[in-house]
Amino acid sequence: MTSLPVHHRPLEDARPTVLIVDDSIDVHRLLKVRLKNEDLDFLSAHTGQEGLALALCRTPSLMILDLDMPGMDGLAVLRKMKEHPDTQHTPVIVLSGQHSPRDKVAAFELGAVDYVTKPFELTELRVRIRSALKMQQLISMLAQRAQIDGLTGLWNRAFFDRRWTEEHARLTRHGHPLTLAIMDLDHFKIVNDTYGHPAGDAVLQAIGKILQRASRQSDLACRYGGEEFVLLMPDTTAADAVVVGERIRNAVASSVWPQHPDLRITISIGVAGCSGAAPLSAEQWIEAADRNLYAAKRAGRNHLVCTDLSVQPPRLVKAAG
Amino acid sequence: MPDSTSSGVRLRSRFADDPEMSDLVRLFISELPARINTLTHAMHEQQLEAMQRMAHQLRGASTGYGFPSIGAAAAKVEDILHATGSSQGENLEQLTSSVHELVELCRLASKG
Repeated sequence: MTSLPVHHRPLEDARPTVLIVDDSIDVHRLLKVRLKNEDLDFLSAHTGQEGLALALCRTPSLMILDLDMPGMDGLAVLRKMKEHPDTQHTPVIVLSGQHSPRDKVAAFELGAVDYVTKPFELTELRVRIRSALKMQQLISMLAQRAQIDGLTGLWNRAFFDRRWTEEHARLTRHGHPLTLAIMDLDHFKIVNDTYGHPAGDAVLQAIGKILQRASRQSDLACRYGGEEFVLLMPDTTAADAVVVGERIRNAVASSVWPQHPDLRITISIGVAGCSGAAPLSAEQWIEAADRNLYAAKRAGRNHLVCTDLSVQPPRLVKAAG
Repeated sequence: MPDSTSSGVRLRSRFADDPEMSDLVRLFISELPARINTLTHAMHEQQLEAMQRMAHQLRGASTGYGFPSIGAAAAKVEDILHATGSSQGENLEQLTSSVHELVELCRLASKG
């Protein structure tokens, strides 16, 4: 659907990986020596086929691609990359011994971001690589910012909506388990009214951190709106999700608030999970989790209510305690 | 621009004193005789495509190792081969002399 890299943690920093595709061993050697102080990781491919395969499985930050290779040439590699969603937006600097304007035009039309003619000055290539990586970093930062909640740093509602649809479709296709938790802070309005909105914001930020810490690498924690959060747990059964949810519920309840020592914050959680084919539509599934959230509220708040949609009923209720 | 230090007695890499590059330059020099053998062998066997490949690689790489004159000589060989296509013998003399020039430069570099 989209080809932008999906990180489970927003704004993750990683060392950029540069994939060098050139049939000349010299280019690999020279580039690696000349770029060794650039804080980059390198991947090497000596044929077009090998380069394409590596681009697809390792999704590098940048590709340096020779056009003149025997067999699958650079333009063919570019064409294939353009067709695949995972590599469509990978920036490519094209190297070529040919000076033909037609090749340049073709390369740019196929998505190359820069074109360097051989024999190239390595110092020049070095700054071109820096500039291409910087641009790529800004683009992916912008793309991520549009999906991040400004206050908590969690994924935002728009991101959740898209990923939920994708995960639901994936479950329908492959039948992996999938669980969704919807959470709502208890009596949050009183916090804002009593301590003021800055204090309320500080609580929301702290809850964001608790969600990040208490969830697992593969979970997606999102701010759903106001004081409502969702945790999307791919490959997780309802029973396993209860463990994660309880960890969150307990972490929130036992938090101390140094600025306001008498403040107590609790959270109610509704969970709906499934470990086979999806029995409900994506929307109905959210409604099922939402119903459990309200059941948790009715049960006295600071509760977790879970439904395993694959065996429903019974409904599992975890009480505060 | 010539990159020989004196009157062509030996050819020295521009990067010979670059600490980052000196190992790589030495490696390139040590491999030159084998590359030249491949090139001349291909010429004797009239394998024009193999010749072109080798000249193309030398053209692309030599400047990077600090030997632009080798790069220029290789470019000349490649261009003649390119113009000749796979057929004619009329450029043979020109080709032979440009290959000879390239071989000579590589030989001077190997001595450096």
